[in-house]
Formats: sequence, C-alpha cells, structure tokens
Amino acid sequence: MQKEKKKTRKIRTKLLTYIVPIVVLMIAILVGVSTELSKKELTKMATSQLESSITNQSDNIESWMNDLLTYFSSVKNTIENGPKEQEIIQRTLDANYKFNKNAPDGLYIGGSDGSYMEASQLKSKSFDPTTREWYKQGLTRVEMAFGPVYKAVDGKPVISATGILNDGSDVVKVIGADVSIDKISVIVNSGVKMDHASSTLIDISDSNKIIADRDTSRLSKQISESDSNKLYSGIAKALNKGNLSTQNIASYIVSFREISGTDLVLVSYVKQSVILAPVTNLARILILLGIVSVLIIIVLVVLVVNRVVAPISVITKHIKSMSDGDFTIDVDIDSNDEIGDMGGRIHEFVDSMRDMIHSINSESMKLREESDNSDSVSRSMFNASKAQGEAMKQLNETVDQLAEAVNEIASDATTLAQIVTDTRDNSEKADASMKETVLISKKGIEDMRHLSIAMDEIQKANSNLVNSINDVGKASEEITNIVSLIHEIAEETNLLSLNASIEAARAGEAGRGFAVVASEIGNLANTSASNAKNISDLIAQVHRLIENAVNEADVSAKSIEENGKLIEVAVSTFDQIYNNIQESHSSMEKMVKNVEKVDEVATNVAAISEEQAASAEEILATSNNMVEQAENITQSSQDVADNSHELANTSETLTDYVHRFKI
Amino acid sequence: MNSRIFKKLLSLAVVSFVFVSTLTSCGSNQGNSADGVKVKLIMTDTKDAFRKNLSDNIKEQASSQGVNLTMVNTGDDVDKQAKEVRKAKSEGYKAIILRLSDAETALQMNVASNGLPIIYVNTQPNDEHLSDSEYIYVGSKEQDAGKYQADYVYKKLNNPSSFNAIIFEGEKGHSGTIGRTSAVKKFFRQKNVSVNYVFMDYANWTSEEAKAKFNTFMKTKQSVDAIFCNNDTMAIGAVEALKENGLDPKKIPVCGVDASKEGCQSIVDGDMSFTVLQDAETQAEMAVKCASLLGKGKSIKDVKYATDDGKYIWVPFKPVDSSNASQYK
Repeated sequence: MQKEKKKTRKIRTKLLTYIVPIVVLMIAILVGVSTELSKKELTKMATSQLESSITNQSDNIESWMNDLLTYFSSVKNTIENGPKEQEIIQRTLDANYKFNKNAPDGLYIGGSDGSYMEASQLKSKSFDPTTREWYKQGLTRVEMAFGPVYKAVDGKPVISATGILNDGSDVVKVIGADVSIDKISVIVNSGVKMDHASSTLIDISDSNKIIADRDTSRLSKQISESDSNKLYSGIAKALNKGNLSTQNIASYIVSFREISGTDLVLVSYVKQSVILAPVTNLARILILLGIVSVLIIIVLVVLVVNRVVAPISVITKHIKSMSDGDFTIDVDIDSNDEIGDMGGRIHEFVDSMRDMIHSINSESMKLREESDNSDSVSRSMFNASKAQGEAMKQLNETVDQLAEAVNEIASDATTLAQIVTDTRDNSEKADASMKETVLISKKGIEDMRHLSIAMDEIQKANSNLVNSINDVGKASEEITNIVSLIHEIAEETNLLSLNASIEAARAGEAGRGFAVVASEIGNLANTSASNAKNISDLIAQVHRLIENAVNEADVSAKSIEENGKLIEVAVSTFDQIYNNIQESHSSMEKMVKNVEKVDEVATNVAAISEEQAASAEEILATSNNMVEQAENITQSSQDVADNSHELANTSETLTDYVHRFKI
Repeated sequence: MNSRIFKKLLSLAVVSFVFVSTLTSCGSNQGNSADGVKVKLIMTDTKDAFRKNLSDNIKEQASSQGVNLTMVNTGDDVDKQAKEVRKAKSEGYKAIILRLSDAETALQMNVASNGLPIIYVNTQPNDEHLSDSEYIYVGSKEQDAGKYQADYVYKKLNNPSSFNAIIFEGEKGHSGTIGRTSAVKKFFRQKNVSVNYVFMDYANWTSEEAKAKFNTFMKTKQSVDAIFCNNDTMAIGAVEALKENGLDPKKIPVCGVDASKEGCQSIVDGDMSFTVLQDAETQAEMAVKCASLLGKGKSIKDVKYATDDGKYIWVPFKPVDSSNASQYK
C-alpha cells in the first residue's frame, strides 16, 4: 500500500514536473511575448501619437507664424506699393497699432540713415534703429521672416518678423514687427495633444536656446550636451548631430520638428514608463493570470491524475490480490478509456482464471479421491497379496508336508512292498513248507512209524506256520494302517489342493498356473486315495485269507494234536489230513497268488508314491517359486501402495495449492 | 520524446516551407503573367529643366523596361491631379508615378489612388504619408545636396571659422528648399563654423528673383563670401548679379543644385563654382522599376538604394564642379 501510494505520487509528481515547467515556460513566453508585443505596439502608438501631437503643434506654430507673416507682408506690400509720403506710411503704421493682438505694437520701420517710424500711439524715445537686433535680422532678407528670439530693450524675450522694405529709395529700410513669444509658449506648453507629453521649443541657431518650456527657469537658457538633465543633454546631443528622427533619450520618447522658415526646433517628449504603464499593468495581470492558471493546471493535473490513477490503484490492488491467490475480486471500472479497457481485460482474466482454478480444483479433488481410492485399493491389494503370500507359504508348507507325507507313503509303500515281498517269500516258504508237508504227509503215510517224530516236526512246522501267518496278519494290519494313513493324507492333500485352487482362483492370472498344479495335485491325491482303498481292500482280502489260513492252521494243529493222540485215527484220517493239506495247499497257492497281487499292488503303490513324491517335489518347487512371486507381488503392491500414497500426498498438496486460490 | 518533438517541428517546418514556397511561386507566376504593367505618369509640367529631364527619362526607361506608360500633365492644379489619380484604377493602371504640385496633398492622393501604389517623384511628401511598398518616394536626399554644397564651400574657403553667406531659397515650403537650406546650415553648425547669413530669402527657383534679391542685398552694403542657391537657375541669376555688381564669381563661390545644362555650362565657363547632379536618369530608372514591381504587388525592398522601411529610394546626388561639369552639359 505504501509502495502503491508512492507510485501514485510518482505519476503525479512526474506529470507535474513535466507539465508545470512547460506551462510556466509557455505562460512566461506568452506573457513575455504579449508584453513585448503590446510594448512595441504601445510604443509605436505612442510614438505616432507623439509625432502627430508635435506635428499638430509645429503646424500650429507655423500657421500662427505664417498668419502673422502674411499680415505683416500685406502691410509691407501696402507700404511698398502705396504712396511713399511719410504721413500715409505713418497712418498705415498707426492703423495697425493694436490691430493684431499678437503684435499689438504694429509694424515699425528703421532706415540705415537712422530714421525710425512706428505707430504714433507708442511714443517711444528716438533711437538709432541700426543698432537694434531686429534691424540686423531684417537686413538679411526682403521677404519678411522671423529671426531668432532675442531680448528686447526692456529685457523681455521677443521675436521679430523683419524684412527689407523695398520702397524704391536708396536708403535701406527694414520693416519689422515684434511678436510676444507668449502665444508660442501657450502653443508649446498647452497645445500638446498627448497626455503626459511635454514640449519645448529650441532655437538651434542660437546654441540651442530654449524659447518655450513649461519649466520657466529654463527659458532663454541654452541647453548643452553636459546638461545635468539627461533628457536635455540628450536632446542637445541629437540637435547638434542633426539627428532629428524620433528617438529614445533617457527613458523618454523624443520627437523633433523643425519649424519651417525658422531655426526653431520643437521637441516633444513623453516618458516611456508612462506609456508603458498599461503594459506593466497588463504584464502584472497576465502574470497573475498565469500564476492562477498554473495553479489551476496543477490542481487539474492532480485531480485528473488522481481520477485516472484511482482505477489503476484499484487494478493494482486487484492484481496484488490475484498474486496472493485471491480471485474473488470484482474488477469494476466504468471508465471508457484505456484504463477502463485494462480493467475490463483484467475482469475477463479474473473470470477465466476463476473458471480455470475452479476446474483445476474439482479435477484435483477428483484426483485426490481417486488417489485415495487407489491408495486404499493398493493397500488392500497389498494386504491381499500379503495374505496370498502367507497362504502361499502355508500352501508351501502343506505341500512340503504333503511331500513329506508322500515320501513317507513312498517309504511306507516300499516297506510294504518289502514286507509283501517278505510275505511272498514267507508264503513261498509256506508253500514250500506245504509241499514239504504234503511230501511229509505222503511220507507220513508211508512213514507212520516215524509218525510221532514226524508229528512233532509237523507240530513245530504248524506252529511256525501259524506264527508266519500271524506275522503276515500283523504286516497286513500294518499295511492297512499305512493305507488308511495314505488315504487320510490323500484326503487332506485333496482338501489342500482344493484350497489352493480357490486361492489360486482368487489370485487371478498369477495363480492360474498354480491352479493347474493344485488340481493336478488334487487328482494325484484322489488317485492316491483310490489306490489306497484298493490296497486296503486287497489287504482286507489278504486279512481274511490269513484268518482263513490261521483258522486252517488252527484246525490243522487241532487235527495234528488229535492225530497225535489219535494216531490211529490219524491213519484213517490221514487221507483226510492229506486232503486238508491238499486244500491248504491250494489256499496257500491262492494266498501266494494274492500276495503276489499285493506285491504287485504294493510295488505299484511304491512307484506311484515315488511319482507322487517327485510331483510333490515339483509342486514344492513351483510353490516356492510362487511364494517368491507372491513376495515379489507383495513388494510390488507395497511399491504400488507407496506410490499411490505418494500420489495421494501429491494430490493433497495440489488440492492444498488449489485451495490457496480464493474463487 | 525530444526526437519526436523535433520530428514534428521538422515536419511542420517542411510543410510550412512547401506551403509558403507554393504561395510564393504562385505569386511569381501571377507576376510573370502580368508583365508589361500599365503605369500612369502624372507630371505637373515639364517647364523646369530637371522635370523635363526626369519625365523624358521615365518614358525612355518605361519602353526599355517593357512598362506600358502613359503620361499626363496636370499643371499645378491639385484637383486635376486628384482626378487623374482617382480614375487611374478604373483605367486599368497598376501603378502611378506622380509629381505632386504640392507636397502637402500626398494624403489626398493616397486616398484617391484607391489602393493603387503611387511612386512619388521630385516633390517629396511628408514621411507620415508614405508607407512600405505602397506609397513611396523616389528621389535624392535634399539634405545631401545642401551637404555637398556646404562641403565644397568649406573647402573652397579653406576651412574658415566664420564667413558671410547668402542663401537663395526656392519655393517657400518646398521639400527641396527646406532640405537643402537646412543641410547647409547644419553642416556648418556641426563644423562649428560661425556663418553669418547676411542674406537668406526665397527666390522661387528663378534667376530673375535671385538677381533682384541680390541687388537688394547689395544695398545693405554687407560683404558676402559664398552664395548657396537651392537650384542652378537661381545660381546663374546670382552669378549675373555678382557680375553686374562688379564682384568676381570666382572669388565668391556660387553653388547650385541640379547640374542642369545651363548650370554645367556656367561652371565650364568659370561662373558658377559647384552644382549637384540630381541623377534624373537613375531616378527615372528606379521610379519605373518600382512602378513595375509595385504594380505586380511586390516589395521594393530589394531595389537598389531602397531604405529599410521600404518608403524611399534614395538616388544619390553627384557633386559637379569644374573637374567634371563638361560631362553633364
């Protein structure tokens, strides 16, 4: 704000520093020029007025003089051309006494012979006219003319019109008339036709003697170039130089006019300051007006600048708000100039910015939501993959266990096979024993005598048989147990594979391979179970056969015991025994066949178990791989989660930023 | 900023220059088309030797300068002069060359001219009735004539501190009379020579009057050392009077003005001592030139001898004494 104010002041100050000096200069020039022009014009006017005044005055003096001269000349002419008698001339002179008020004494005539005539009314004392100034003046011309001013006998300044009277006589006579210079003084002093102007009449033939002047102390005094009054010394200088053009002397405008027919010069002068007083006044008024107009201009400039700058400062404020992110401003400038245009543009800009930020804001909100979503999704995915990993591990463990179980089955099957083999061997041994029994029984029949011994041996052999058969029974029970265990394991495996299938299905594409394996495992487990069932069925058959064999052996033993006791009976029953043995033998053979079958099955089981074990190994490897992959997935989903978290953070930051704009 | 202002000023200057030069060229075109300006010459009479000389020269100059000139003689009749001046415009004249019968009537003629420029010759109007390139005077400075006379006498009398002089003046009130006489007096006043004007009277340009006045002077029994005459005619009369009174014009220098044939002859004859040539030929040339220029609406300021105020063409006098008088006979 401080800065803004400073700026505003700067514009105003700048404008003022440009405008004010120019205006002042222009006004000064205007005042100067108009003053100078009016000075010139006024001086010109004053000069022409002074000149017309002096012309008028000199014309007046000249016409006054000419009138008198005409008058005198007519009298002279009358005398010259009239009768030359003294009385008549005297009468003429008398008649002109007081005829003209400017020459009240009338005319007089002086001769070189000392004669003198004048109006008889004057009654002057007689004198020698040739000694008089007027006489000397008159001698220089025939045509009457005024000579220089001189002092009359009575000491008064007088001007005489004189001329030679051409009366045809040999005596030179001068006719003259004295004229009071009072009338000239009146014309000079009062006939000035210009205010504040003064005139003075100077006789240049008599060292610039002043004839008429308002300053009576100067009358009849000569003015010299060394006069203490600069005006008069200047006039004297101009007169001596013969420069009679209108000129400026000592702050006066001075005009000169020669009075024709005389050596008189009329000088009129007027003080320049008097003439230029209106100009000074005008200049004063103009300067005042100038100052006023400068002040008005300053005020106007300040006002206009304020008016013009006000919207700018509003705009500046708005721009500042905008730079602070506030776009809630409403630029409303109703001036129709460039600033208004600027305001309008800013208004448009703010509008478009507002729209833009608005859309950015909503977009960023959306983004934020989406990033939040993806964050949670990635989180759940992470969790899922983690769970999957764990499940995988469990599966792995299960598969491990399965493998172990399968291995166990395999070893059991091997053991079973071994046992079966042993059993077969035993059966074969039993068979062989049976055959030997048959042989012996045949021998018994033959060797009845060795019956008792043989009986013992039979008894022994029978108990051995019973033991072997019991062993077989035990072994088959064991097999039954193992088979049921296998069955259980198979069931469990099947269950696990089912589980695995489900999990694999849940894992989607990644678990598809696994699902295949899991179903394979399931199949294998089913196969294992059915085989185990077969085995158990077979074992049950074996068991029954063994029970039969045992029962037979028991029956044989009883029979042998009975035979032992009933040797006699034995011989009779010997055949029966033999038959029984024969029967036993065939059972035995059946049994051996069954055992062989069992052996076959057991071998088969062992092979399958081994295959199973191999498959389990494969499964294990696969599931290890899967665990690894699941771990990778977990890691990736962790990364995804991290990224989506970061994204969420970024979108939050963006949202924060966008929220900083007020719209 | 400065350069912009400068450019503006420059363009303004160029524009105004073009404008002004267009105007000027237009003006000059008009001038050229109006060649052969019609000019009216109004003379009082040609009785006087100088006026005859002047009017002859004006006619000659008009034909040589291609000016269509018509001359009218009016005598001393002011009304006739005014009438001629008044009708000049309607007659199609572009300028008037006028010899006033009375110098005081200049204002009347200015008004009567109806805006036609007037070139005054021989009779000099009052300065206030002249104006720049409109009403002008072509002539010689009367004062110069008197100055030349005074200077000649001053030298002839070997720089005297005082001497007796006679002045025979022309017509009373005539510009030549006043100017020439006052110039003589002024010259000596400025030289601090105490001149005793033993006789000074109007002889109205005529030798008879001069002679008569001199005889009257002789009656006063005063001596004279030099005689100044406002023209040659009076000077010749003065010389005759001197001779008649037994005085030697070689000892008493008699000076005239105009360098008329008679005057020059008198000088050649050893009677008159000095005269001043009023250069009628150059005055005529200038008058016709100015009439032509003013008739075309142009200024005379560039004309030779023109004064700064554009009111006068001062054709200089030429001093004539025994050394050169024969040239002008």
